[in-house]
Amino acid sequence: MEERIDTLPRLPVSTDTGDLEHYGRDWTRFWKPAPCGVVFPESTDDVAELVGWARKTKTPLVPSGGRTGLSGGAVASRNELVVSLERMRSLVELDEADASITVQAGMTIGEVQRRAVDAGFCYPVDWAAAESSQAGGSIATNAGGIRVLRYGMTRDWVRGLEVVTGAGEVLELNRGLIKNNAGYDLRQLFIGSEGTLGFITRATFGLAPPPVQQSVLLLGFADLEAIMPAFALLRRQLSLSAFEFFDQASLEHVATHTGQSSPIETECPFYAVVEFDDPDGSAQERALEVFEGAVEEGWVTDGIISQSESQVQELWQWREAISEAIAVHTPYKNDLSVRISRVPTFLAELDRLVEAKYPEFQVVWFGHIGDGNLHMNVLKPESWSVEDFHTACNGLSEQVFELVRKHEGSLSAEHGVGLLKRDHLAMCRSESEIELMRRIKQAFDPDNLINPGKILP
Amino acid sequence: MKILVTLKRVVDYNVRVRVKSDGSGVETDGVKMSINPFDEIALEEALRIKERGDAEEVVVASIGAADVQQQLRTGLAMGADRALHVETESAPQPLTAARILLKLVEREEPGIVFLGKQAIDDDCNQTGQMLAALWDRPQATFASKVELSDGKASVTREVDAGLETIQVDLPAVLTSDLRLNEPRFVKLPEIMKAKRKPLDIIALDELGIEDAVDHQISDFQPPPKRAGGKILESAGELVDELKNKGLL
Repeated sequence: MEERIDTLPRLPVSTDTGDLEHYGRDWTRFWKPAPCGVVFPESTDDVAELVGWARKTKTPLVPSGGRTGLSGGAVASRNELVVSLERMRSLVELDEADASITVQAGMTIGEVQRRAVDAGFCYPVDWAAAESSQAGGSIATNAGGIRVLRYGMTRDWVRGLEVVTGAGEVLELNRGLIKNNAGYDLRQLFIGSEGTLGFITRATFGLAPPPVQQSVLLLGFADLEAIMPAFALLRRQLSLSAFEFFDQASLEHVATHTGQSSPIETECPFYAVVEFDDPDGSAQERALEVFEGAVEEGWVTDGIISQSESQVQELWQWREAISEAIAVHTPYKNDLSVRISRVPTFLAELDRLVEAKYPEFQVVWFGHIGDGNLHMNVLKPESWSVEDFHTACNGLSEQVFELVRKHEGSLSAEHGVGLLKRDHLAMCRSESEIELMRRIKQAFDPDNLINPGKILP
Repeated sequence: MKILVTLKRVVDYNVRVRVKSDGSGVETDGVKMSINPFDEIALEEALRIKERGDAEEVVVASIGAADVQQQLRTGLAMGADRALHVETESAPQPLTAARILLKLVEREEPGIVFLGKQAIDDDCNQTGQMLAALWDRPQATFASKVELSDGKASVTREVDAGLETIQVDLPAVLTSDLRLNEPRFVKLPEIMKAKRKPLDIIALDELGIEDAVDHQISDFQPPPKRAGGKILESAGELVDELKNKGLL
């Protein structure tokens, strides 16, 4: 392999042990990173040349962005060559008339958001890891995040892509057009492809007008059944941009992690961060009425409301810091979605299932309940080894996915399939669907060299 | 003992301030307005003193147009007992503000007047000191810790050389520094209760104060734009660049 790397075309390469580990994995910790090297292309031509070289030398490539993924999509554990896009992070163009921004794939989403704000716009797709995750990776994973309720997923904002396919061809997909019904929209295939069809090298995103002032409620719920009717009420009365829930365990983990005490006095089984438009402060009055109504119904037991921008950010921390706070417990993540109306029943059944099977596992629940999307995090008890824990969780997943199937949901709402869910894909996709996916993969990546072994079993 | 806390309505700390195109002031239309963060810290401290049993009543006061009542209501929801709104359409400068506050002090006879060390809009850092002089009472400014006993306040101040602890006889003027405490969140049930708490509106002439403007601001300019950075290819280039600029 070393020799092969020596034949690489004049690109910066690293085979440093630390780099191999760093670039060989994402935020999952179940696979040992073992790439043969990391290469840093600086242009689309570099990437195309690299793919040509990989085809000649039969070297599997793993496209690599900010590696904040949670399904192992960017893991290189089988001697692949990692292709990091991090040096391709320039702004190509920001067009005010088109309300769009074109960037190289390695620019972080945080930077995309700042560039948009500087020009008087906003890139509204947002999640906790925005400062690390990159444009290309966010598209390859069709990232969702905390404001899907109002703004949709990454897919809704991608206007154009430049890609290098597994065959080494450079394609311009959709060229930033809003309307384009001339044939199949290949751009859509790359969105959510988890790097299995080729490399995204450049992207054009649509931009939204800047949001009006937002206020945030932190509500404590009486029980699981109370969340959905309260959500329905809030959605009718306020212009919601986010409705994010988490359980008491999440709150405790964040409190331990950040050293802060709970902002809310009453201990409740579930909480929600509710963000809404409040352009002139008058929506707070309406929020208060809704709160009173929800208290009378017995749904909500306590709540606080932001009085300043810093409080908006502080309250969001209780939701956004959860992933980081539980990371030390090697969480096994399931990212499930069902129709919104089915969430409470589904969640209750899941809770009973884990409780019966592994009473010693702690399950931490949070997620985008307003989108029907639940993040189920099973924490590793300290006495368990990572391997045993992973095996147990895999077994547990079979039954979790049975429930998903029963409730006609998806086993990956936004995290993707990667390595983590690959062998379970058939639980929510039909055989014919999977076969078509295989053929699409083959059409773009004839030698099966681009992120092989991901998504498809 | 009664504590009087001042609350100034300012552009929210996290909002990027924009100068109006005609240079007449700062854009406030559609901009989030909040309690001056140092005043919020002062109120939090006053509430903690009351909760410890060292004070019986916390009164919040603000000077300005009708919209300052929004911040007073927030203060009431945080836990203040009463609110005073001194109504004026102009924005009083520190000396006028101190004169107005003195009138409130004469009416209310508080043991402590607690202000923020400065307001984040004009950064004057004068009102507390001026009030102490007009009132002829001690002042303990930049407080990072406050302890009360036997009619005295022991106040730790953040000074350039470190921390300094002074003792003042009450009544006195105290001003809060950033690290004094972390203000609480407003609970929704408390907002409902706050609606029933008294909020008195006082006209400026009722206090016998003329809305004197002691200075006028003729122009506002945004800070000059920073020049962009430069990415160099090598350490050698960096050394050359630094030498060229006379920095090495």
